[in-house]
Amino acid sequence: MKGLGKKIVLYALLLLALLWTVVPLGWMVLSSFKRPDDLVSQTPTLFFAPTFQNYVGLFTGGNALGGYITNSILAAGISTLIAVTLGCLAGYGLSRSHFRGKDHVSFWIISTRMAPIAAVILPLYAVFRTLDLLNTTTGLIVAYLTFNLPFAIWIMNAFFADLPPALEEAAMVDGATKFGAFWRIALPLTAPGIVTTAILCLVFSWNDYAFAQSFSGPGSQTLPIAASQLITQTGINWGQLMAIGTIVVLPMVVVGLAVRRYLVKGLTLGAVTGE
Amino acid sequence: MIEKMRFSGRLTRRDFLRMSGAGLAGASLLGLAGCGEEASQGSSSGGMWKQYKGMTLNFISENTAPTSAIAANLKPFKDLTGIDVKISQLELGSLVQKVSLDVSSGDPTIHVIYADPYQVMAPFAAALADLNDFNEDDSLPSVPKGLGDFIPTQLAAAGRFADEEALYALPYDAPTMIWMYRKDLFDKYGDQMSQDLGFDPTPSESITWAQYYEIGKWFNDNADEVEYGTGQQAKQYDSLMCDFSNVLWAYGGDYFETGVQVGKIGTEDPGPAMLDQPKAIEAAEFYMKLNEISHPGSTSWDWTALDEAFRAGELAMVPNWHEFAAGVEASKLGGKVGYERLPTGPARSASMWGGTGLGVNGELSEDEQRAAWLFLVWATSPETQLSGLKSEVGGGTPTRQSVYEEPEVQKAQQRPSDMPNILTYEAVSKAWEPENIGLRPKIEEWNKCDTVIFTELSKMLAGDKSPEQAMKDAKEGFDRANGV
Amino acid sequence: MLLPALLLLAAISLFPFFYIIYMSFNEVALIGGVDFEWVGLENWTLLVTDPDVRSSWIVSGIYFVTTVGLEMVLGIAVALLLHETIWGKNLALSVMLMPMFVAPVIVGLLGRFLVDSTYGLYAWFLDRTGLITWEILGSKGSALAAVILMDVWEWTPLIVLIVLAGLSSMPQPVLEAAKVDGANYLQRLRHVVGPLISGVVIVALLVRSMDAIRYYDIIAITTNGGPADATKVIPIRLYETAFRFQELGYAAAIGLSMLAFSILVANLFVRILKQQGLAR
Repeated sequence: MKGLGKKIVLYALLLLALLWTVVPLGWMVLSSFKRPDDLVSQTPTLFFAPTFQNYVGLFTGGNALGGYITNSILAAGISTLIAVTLGCLAGYGLSRSHFRGKDHVSFWIISTRMAPIAAVILPLYAVFRTLDLLNTTTGLIVAYLTFNLPFAIWIMNAFFADLPPALEEAAMVDGATKFGAFWRIALPLTAPGIVTTAILCLVFSWNDYAFAQSFSGPGSQTLPIAASQLITQTGINWGQLMAIGTIVVLPMVVVGLAVRRYLVKGLTLGAVTGE
Repeated sequence: MIEKMRFSGRLTRRDFLRMSGAGLAGASLLGLAGCGEEASQGSSSGGMWKQYKGMTLNFISENTAPTSAIAANLKPFKDLTGIDVKISQLELGSLVQKVSLDVSSGDPTIHVIYADPYQVMAPFAAALADLNDFNEDDSLPSVPKGLGDFIPTQLAAAGRFADEEALYALPYDAPTMIWMYRKDLFDKYGDQMSQDLGFDPTPSESITWAQYYEIGKWFNDNADEVEYGTGQQAKQYDSLMCDFSNVLWAYGGDYFETGVQVGKIGTEDPGPAMLDQPKAIEAAEFYMKLNEISHPGSTSWDWTALDEAFRAGELAMVPNWHEFAAGVEASKLGGKVGYERLPTGPARSASMWGGTGLGVNGELSEDEQRAAWLFLVWATSPETQLSGLKSEVGGGTPTRQSVYEEPEVQKAQQRPSDMPNILTYEAVSKAWEPENIGLRPKIEEWNKCDTVIFTELSKMLAGDKSPEQAMKDAKEGFDRANGV
Repeated sequence: MLLPALLLLAAISLFPFFYIIYMSFNEVALIGGVDFEWVGLENWTLLVTDPDVRSSWIVSGIYFVTTVGLEMVLGIAVALLLHETIWGKNLALSVMLMPMFVAPVIVGLLGRFLVDSTYGLYAWFLDRTGLITWEILGSKGSALAAVILMDVWEWTPLIVLIVLAGLSSMPQPVLEAAKVDGANYLQRLRHVVGPLISGVVIVALLVRSMDAIRYYDIIAITTNGGPADATKVIPIRLYETAFRFQELGYAAAIGLSMLAFSILVANLFVRILKQQGLAR
């Protein structure tokens, strides 16, 4: 009896949490299939004649969404790739080295991620201007590295620190080089950590608005910019906005959920160690 | 009305001499362009247009209807000039950021700038090219029909800063605040309202803001069709300044002593603000009072949200940008809405003008500037403005007198109209007269002053401050910003 | 191995950092290329005397403490719930994680769509139930609460994820022993689970704090600081100072003060971690 009561409370609370989470998203997806009249009706409509016009509208016309999607994938994908690669190397290096002031170095690394976004825009703009990186996807990739690289080093360091060095030492006794030990022993063991890091980096850069707004031009604008462009002086195109929201969210949700197991496992490995 | 205003534009000898040439160029815009390259290249004007063939121009614009119309229809320009145009459409705040970054680079990439007179032109006038140089250059096409074809108040307000001669932008769009009201409801309740209120409520030039308040209140209490009589665009944002300014001017208040001049031409030294004067405080008190009977959503609404609420049928009347008429006519309210100038106050009826011109980035190389000029001439030409009116993506409204004289435009003033924005013409044409137009100060520090006034007003509406205190604090904020 | 990454990081972070420091002692003119005019401590004295900046710090403080606080409390609670759940745990977790994958801009826009009094689902619900009959983003308290809740909606899942990871890595024998000793759930939570996951909790706190003070997308797209400055957090004021008023020198000083705050907070958390012997 007591067990049952507990269960009921448990699931009731869980249901509440689920509702809180899912209602906005569900409403967004639902609304993306609504006609303008249904969208702004004064009493919310749950049943309506669905339409694809919002999606069709997004992919046709002057500012078709295709380009934005490509830019988003390239900018977020490549910056994640670089951040994770370098993050693994540096994180491993950091975790296996012992030098004075190591704490300070590792704190400096993560502190670079704390820089206020609006304040770094002008300096970065000046750099990009000089290097001719404005309005390019490369520029965005570099901009995203400013927050993804420290994050990746920091979190990968934690994962590697968690790994007993004995395993690699054994391999090196067997004749493996230092890099070989890292590549064949340490790296596979931290796979969940790598996936976790990659996903979080991907999410942070895929969702960026402030940098994309400052550094991208017509040829390199990303999806969040496309979303903001639907707010015009003559009105907000809620239907297309909800559709774009769905499009932006969907890949992240799919990717995120596909590796959810790794996420929990990855963070289990690394999170406790911190710093 | 238009005829009366016609001659305030200067007509230089050069303008006059090249009138015919300009006409030719104008004709080639839509006419010859269709015939292919050979045809236009043969003529001398065609050569002028083609001299920067192969170039690419970056045009940065607020995401407004006229730019959407142009973006959807760039082919004629490409045919005419062989120039590609890349358009970035942004929210105005982002645009200001982009422009400030671009001019800071020393090696700019933006060619054509949507130069909002207050947020872009005034602070960045030094970075904009003086367009007279191009207009008077024999090797470049000049403005078809001359600068005098632009509505004079708009040419000054959108094009000049602190200097009667220099021209930094060509008038491109002309949103102006007018009174939009539910004609169907006024028809239905008109008699009853007349009886209850003791005056004829039919929107007209003679209705005062005090009466507007009475009408709004009457709708709150008596009509079931709408939730509230009226609403305000009182979000802590630019829209709140616009909405309030109409009342401020109507009550005889102003931002600066030289209000009209500061609005029309602008100045680098506006002097002390006047917002603490009794008339300004009176205006603030009225705006506050109006807020009490307005839709409670008002304090979170910008112009877009207010317009949405009106279109959704929640309000009987609103002060609204006239270019929103196209959206209103396309909504379920289509055909049921009337358009009138804003109510009058003890001093006058004032309608906030929010137009913008197109400018050329003066930091560019000579050739790039000249190519950008070609785009300016084309984008503000009568033909382009006319096609914008018919655009499916709901273009803006013309800034040229000649376009309004076109028979098809004249005809569109009556329903059924294929140019819904033109239904507002009678109201806006009066609003654009020098004595009626509402022009906010054009000063370098406007962005700061704007923020000061809408922040203080927002605090007033939230009950943090009395109208008097808010206006006094606003004056101090203005004076601090302007270094007075 | 360490070097390439550190060099790159230094290249992309040190230059902007010193540039900002230099800017903060200058008046920055933009037109025709950036131009500096040395003004000494002017921006810094303004920073400490400016009542607007002070009020923004207060709002930011409230925003920071409430968002991060709520996210931690809810995140830990949901993680504990999920940890206790057997049936449907994976599905529930999958759903629960979704908001953190949504771009903040979209969260803000979606939030606006939901609380709009004309057609918003939440506004409609709250109005019908009589809970909130006024315009949510139009009044000071409810507007601040709304932007806080949007942030909480988006980032609680991250805390859930991290804490759940900590919960799953707890050594089973210890838990069993506590059960055998007859400790009830709350006692176990306090004396066994709590200490075991406190390290993870601090990490979660650190990760969130870092971003909570920086991000401004949600507020920028919903209230942009209003009404009556009720949601004008410090990064919004920074953006406005830099790009609306073009006062980049002063903006740099504001930015550096934000950075100092973040570093202070992060340092505090790291120190706690170290005290617990959890950091390496």
